[in-house]
Amino acid sequence: MSHSDLYAEVDRSAYTNALAKNSPITKTFFALSALAIGVSAQSFVVPIIVFILCTCLSLGFAKVKPRLYLGLFVYPTLMLILSCIILALFFGSGQSLIDIPLPWTTWAIYKSGISISVNTFFRVEGALSCLFFLVLTTSINDLCVLLRRIHMPQVMVEMSMMIYRYIFLFLEITEKMILAQKLRLRRSGWLSSIRSLAMLIGSLFIRTLDQGERTLVAMTARGYGGEIRILDDFPAPRKIALLGIAFFDVLLIVLIFLTLNIGVV
Amino acid sequence: MIFKLENLSYRYSDGTLALSEVSLSFARGERIALLGTNGSGKTTLLNHLIGILKPSSGNIYFDDKPLAYDAKSLQNLRKRVGFVFQDPNDQLFAPTVKQDVAFGPLNLGQTPEQVKKMVDEALETVGMSEFKEKPPHFLSLGQKKRVALAGVLAMQPEVIIMDEPTSNLDPRGTSEILRLLLQLNKGKGITLILATHDVDMVPLFANKLYILNKGKLVAHGEPKQIFSDTELIRQVNLRSPRLTHLFEVLNKKNKLPIDEPLPLTIGEARKEILRLIELSKNQKKI
Repeated sequence: MSHSDLYAEVDRSAYTNALAKNSPITKTFFALSALAIGVSAQSFVVPIIVFILCTCLSLGFAKVKPRLYLGLFVYPTLMLILSCIILALFFGSGQSLIDIPLPWTTWAIYKSGISISVNTFFRVEGALSCLFFLVLTTSINDLCVLLRRIHMPQVMVEMSMMIYRYIFLFLEITEKMILAQKLRLRRSGWLSSIRSLAMLIGSLFIRTLDQGERTLVAMTARGYGGEIRILDDFPAPRKIALLGIAFFDVLLIVLIFLTLNIGVV
Repeated sequence: MIFKLENLSYRYSDGTLALSEVSLSFARGERIALLGTNGSGKTTLLNHLIGILKPSSGNIYFDDKPLAYDAKSLQNLRKRVGFVFQDPNDQLFAPTVKQDVAFGPLNLGQTPEQVKKMVDEALETVGMSEFKEKPPHFLSLGQKKRVALAGVLAMQPEVIIMDEPTSNLDPRGTSEILRLLLQLNKGKGITLILATHDVDMVPLFANKLYILNKGKLVAHGEPKQIFSDTELIRQVNLRSPRLTHLFEVLNKKNKLPIDEPLPLTIGEARKEILRLIELSKNQKKI
């Protein structure tokens, strides 16, 4: 899957998943509270529960394609594994687990380092699963309406709306430009590919300025007066769902305290 | 008269004279086509009608009152005159179809309930109701054009201005848009002003035709009468509709006795051909 395909797939899922019609308040409340709890946990137990839960909800209830859901984890997880290896090998203090003698020093690997590494791994994966659940089930439109409701500054919400819309337009334009360059036998050498890229970015930048101006004219023609008003009509959240989530959050928090001292090694 | 222009001239800041001394008037309920080549000043003229451009000299009257450029008057003008842009990507900026169509009505200060009703009606009219919750990048160009039209319709304007409504559309998309526009004109009495260089579309749609060339108004009147002046049409680098051209050739080269004005549409051509057949039958009998 190429990058732009992946974005388009995520976007498509946000509009077409089985939970698309549910209140964005419920979904956001669930995802963000689970995120906060998962990240603040000291051991790996609660993050794993959060991860399993979000994965079940995304795949089982929202019916997101497993390929897409798991695909999203690939790059962050690769980065994460690298970081965790470094954490395990170079961090920590106290009683060392293994000492590797080197001619000039002794390299110590600590118990606490490994524990930090493992906990970090699961906390990040848990947090990712919360965010992926949110982006795969909630459309940008719903998120913008929600942001307006909680009184986010107008300008931020407007910018997000428009950036979202025009990302897709410019992705399309970029793809066309790259194709046009290729068809005119863009050379594949390093230097010339840099040159082609520079031209691409240059003309794309001019296109964005131009597009901005034309969009403003079009908006003005429809009575734009400096503020984009949004039609706020999403369904009210079901109280029982919110209560259920709150109850579950309390359970997780209790679990955090119960698992404070569970270590890996 | 819904619009009246007096000696309108417009010079761009780079010195190009885009319009020169254009005077014309559009009546309520007309279906007007502005025909001209690329760069003939059509879009510049249209932009004047909704106050996006201010004339360098000359006057514009809307509903018999001179156009005012303060924010309130412009708001009022744009409520009554809708503008559909050539490229729907310029116009559709919101994350969903519904949100985009709601933009205009919300700017008019309607309540959310009213807005919802207006959005539903507008999308129903253009046949795009099922795409209500979809983002614009899921749609084809023809669908985007219809949504852009819905965005304007939802404001319930008296006049709709469209810049190249059929450019880049496939035959089906073209005929759907045209049918929709005719329906709006006949059903709701909306005045339509279209800029185009698609000469074949003009006879199907317009009852008034204005020809622009290099910023000047060179002819206006009924399409039939204007397309009969083949000399003028050629001078301004346009051409007659294909059918009209065929009958012109049959008349000039093959000396067939074609009646003036030349037929513009399939219906008229059919009548003319049947008349010719009838004529030759009668001649054989004699």
